[in-house]
Amino acid sequence: MAKILAIAEHRNGKLTDATLELCKAAKALASALGAEPAAAIMAKDDALAKEVAKYIPTVFCVADGALEGYTADGYTQAIKAVVESQDVKGVLIPHSYDGVDYAAKVAMAIGAGIVSNCNKARVDGGKVIFTRNTYNGKIQEEKSVNTDKFVATFEKGAYDMEAAGGAGAVTAVSASIANVRTKSKGIIETMAGAVDISQAKVIVSGGRGCKDADKYKEFIVSLAQKLGGEYAASRPVVDSGWTDAARQVGQSGKTVAPDLYLACGISGAIQHVAGMKGSKCIVAINKDPEAPIFNIAMYGIVGDLFEVIPQIKEKL
Amino acid sequence: MKIAVCLKQVPDMESKFKIVEDKKIDESQIAFKINDFDNYAVEAALQLKEKFGGEVVIVTCGPERAAKDIRQAFAMGADWGIHVMDPAVEAGDNFVVASTLQKAIESIGGVELVLTGVQAEDDQAAVTGVMLADLMGWPHCTNVKKLEVNGTALTVNRELEGGLNEVLEMSAPAVLTVQSGINEPRYPTLPGIMKAKKKRLDVKKAADIGASAASKTDFIKMFFPVSDHKAEILQGDAATVAAKLVEKLKNEAKVI
Repeated sequence: MAKILAIAEHRNGKLTDATLELCKAAKALASALGAEPAAAIMAKDDALAKEVAKYIPTVFCVADGALEGYTADGYTQAIKAVVESQDVKGVLIPHSYDGVDYAAKVAMAIGAGIVSNCNKARVDGGKVIFTRNTYNGKIQEEKSVNTDKFVATFEKGAYDMEAAGGAGAVTAVSASIANVRTKSKGIIETMAGAVDISQAKVIVSGGRGCKDADKYKEFIVSLAQKLGGEYAASRPVVDSGWTDAARQVGQSGKTVAPDLYLACGISGAIQHVAGMKGSKCIVAINKDPEAPIFNIAMYGIVGDLFEVIPQIKEKL
Repeated sequence: MKIAVCLKQVPDMESKFKIVEDKKIDESQIAFKINDFDNYAVEAALQLKEKFGGEVVIVTCGPERAAKDIRQAFAMGADWGIHVMDPAVEAGDNFVVASTLQKAIESIGGVELVLTGVQAEDDQAAVTGVMLADLMGWPHCTNVKKLEVNGTALTVNRELEGGLNEVLEMSAPAVLTVQSGINEPRYPTLPGIMKAKKKRLDVKKAADIGASAASKTDFIKMFFPVSDHKAEILQGDAATVAAKLVEKLKNEAKVI
């Protein structure tokens, strides 16, 4: 039977949450397509394959010393070996940093169309229709592939995590991993800083709308101090050097869940939301009434943060 | 070092978007600009040129309006460019664009490094650069946050989740897709803008460079996201909304 294959990702000997989400996605899509859900894991040995098998009935394991760490060349060759030996119809990959690095290469290697950064998938007349975010989350689009096989990457949270419970079968697949052209020299921490914003009860966070370093300090930092909380930032603020990287909230920075998260001049791109959506109360101040941040905020103010923040400080 | 930078022109994401017939955005009220991530790629290329010499060639697929932003990259310091202006490419998917960029880059000859943004702000796909590398037969690295070049040896930092970077070694020729924050893109100077007007920009059809790939994906429709949650929008002038907010945070949400 044709298979829908979820790619299991792992770091430090542990499966990522996205892997469990893709197990759920593979089951849902396989069921709608009359196919069989399966997963593939690439690692130096088969130690984690049994862990994956708790979530999905069939697991293919490519174990090779060359797969000890992630490389695009290694992963692509291993996934291609599984796809070619196992009647795979679709490959589901997390839209993670690693996933972005190898997914399109896998699509090229197996001659499939790729739809990336999806948040939903449905089956209509035997065809998978993918929904994905575009235009910074302001517009969604539907796409499908016109190739026999498909590759799709899913953003984090697109599916719930599958619960453990099964005891699936692990099948070894051999692949000859050769000519790996990138060499990892290790993983480094880039946000080491004295401040740990993840413990704060109140966070005032500024985005691109803060305009410059002085205004960021004048409005965001001072409001945070008045509230007895921490100040934080979305990616553009850190990229521009208005504050240090240890205060960046989002996929590439810190994950926070304070009682109050005040997002000022932040549009609410999915990468930022991933780092703060667990906050108890989110307040958004933004000039753009269509900013996606208003879709997750409890309270919204459509207005100029430079006018509103001084007023908030006065009322506190 | 001869460096090609793949640059896309995209709408300003703060625009008020209107969708026409579920298929495309109404461009009449939209301002266009260089894709932010590509702007960092242009800067990274210019810094390498300043260090090692060589040239920076801009390669763009897009309609006529894209020429404005190719010239913007010229004004920053890029030397010349290829503008593939072809409705068939514009209607194509990321694979068509990657295939067209490949042919354009091969037509330049002697390119040792390709830099581009990790993704376009409009389609948010993050696949074109990787496809291009595969078509060129070159290694790649995505989400590049740091780049050091020593002859053909490249040392790059690849951004990972949660503030981590992986340090990688690889050899040119290669395709690197650049993440924002890798540098501080320069603004064009007035003399730069004057010079940009005279720089060489080759306008090509796909057929001129031997590009003829077909899409592997089909676009179905676009729509505004329907959220099952909307914030309670506080109404009034700045003083009024501030008072309402403080009251709600104290007495309703009880978070301050």
